[in-house]
Amino acid sequence: MVLQRPSWSLVASGVFASGIHLISGDVGSGKSTLALEMAGLQVPDWGIMTREGITSSMLSFQFPEFHVTGFSVAEECASWGLETEVVLQQAGIEVREEVPVLSLSRGELKRLHLACVLSRQYDLLLLDEPFSSLDCRGKEAVCRQLSARTEGITILFTHEQSIFPKVDHIWEISGGFLCDCGEMPGALASWQHAPPLIKRLVESGRVPDNITPEGILEAACRTRG
Amino acid sequence: MITFAAVRYRAIAIDTLTFSPGVTSVIGPNGSGKTTFLKLCAGITEPEQGSVLVDGKSPRLTDIGYVNEFPDRNILFPLVKDELASPLRFSHTPCRETDRAVAECAERLGISHLLDRRMQDLSGGEKIIVAFAAACISRPRVLILDECDSHLDARRCTWFEKVLCDAGATYVIRCTQQMETATQSDHLLYFEQGRVLHAGMPAEVFSRLCDTSFYPLSWRCPE
Repeated sequence: MVLQRPSWSLVASGVFASGIHLISGDVGSGKSTLALEMAGLQVPDWGIMTREGITSSMLSFQFPEFHVTGFSVAEECASWGLETEVVLQQAGIEVREEVPVLSLSRGELKRLHLACVLSRQYDLLLLDEPFSSLDCRGKEAVCRQLSARTEGITILFTHEQSIFPKVDHIWEISGGFLCDCGEMPGALASWQHAPPLIKRLVESGRVPDNITPEGILEAACRTRG
Repeated sequence: MITFAAVRYRAIAIDTLTFSPGVTSVIGPNGSGKTTFLKLCAGITEPEQGSVLVDGKSPRLTDIGYVNEFPDRNILFPLVKDELASPLRFSHTPCRETDRAVAECAERLGISHLLDRRMQDLSGGEKIIVAFAAACISRPRVLILDECDSHLDARRCTWFEKVLCDAGATYVIRCTQQMETATQSDHLLYFEQGRVLHAGMPAEVFSRLCDTSFYPLSWRCPE
């Protein structure tokens, strides 16, 4: 399919099977627009997108404030049909349930939002910059939850540099095209947007099995022959 | 020097803190008071008790550029060129000088192609770059950035470090959740529950965080 905007265009073709997919790309390359298209919230200018076996889907926006519909923390949790106490525990934040949800710090708001999103299973889960504003512990907690997803398609659009879940497939937007870098770990050889540490490891022949912190550490500690 | 003395504001409690010119990064868990600390440095909020001084003066008497952690909260005007020009117009800079500064700043930051775009049509990263440009267009003495790097790709982060040095601010104070970025600072502050638990050079502060997830991954990896 082709997405055309006044200042850029994106040609995207590919098959997204079950598993965790990571899509990276430069600022303003069309990642968020692609997420909207994949969620069915916009239609492509040309081409089609077919969704097979998708009965439930969720798009988490880059900006958690765009999701807010309740005034207080309790109302926000209730709007997702969830118990406040359970959400706060899952989010790992200590805030009073009656405080205005938009008075939370951005990181707290992101944690609250992701706890709501990840409380349910979806056939297609699209997460636009899920790690932005999260502290390192929050990123690790979200990675654990994502890595534990055994069913469905999860697509991450992210600029994250160091803390990733275990991913199955890497894509990147480059020169106006969605490029398929391939499945892990082979994808790392052609991943132009790889964080510097991963690039360094690949260039030195120590290709990580995956891009989790554990995978990167294991590769870094390998003896070079 | 920026000095905090017996500061109390909501959950923030800082008895004494001093840091010198350069890049100061602020790290810590979500909700630990980092943004409130930045707002105190900027004079956006004033302490209930104690004092915050920038080279002996109130932050409100100092030229300060500030980028909010919520990209949309930085936006005042519909068009990028007006947003960029706003600090100069607010300070009654002559129109011709303003136009020249906008063109020069946009060129320097590689956003000339965005000048006629609507702010609401920009991507998250583009909004942050424009907000940063507006914050530094009048060459403020203090530049305060709340998690600007959350919305930037790896290449832009590297580029951002360079333009930050070229911005000419005496003090750069920034929150970041990218520990690799925090390593590239002159000073590092680690917050927990409204208090500065560790302060010093990055190596010094991270040495106290080596058992936590805040320790930079690249430092755990042998060369």
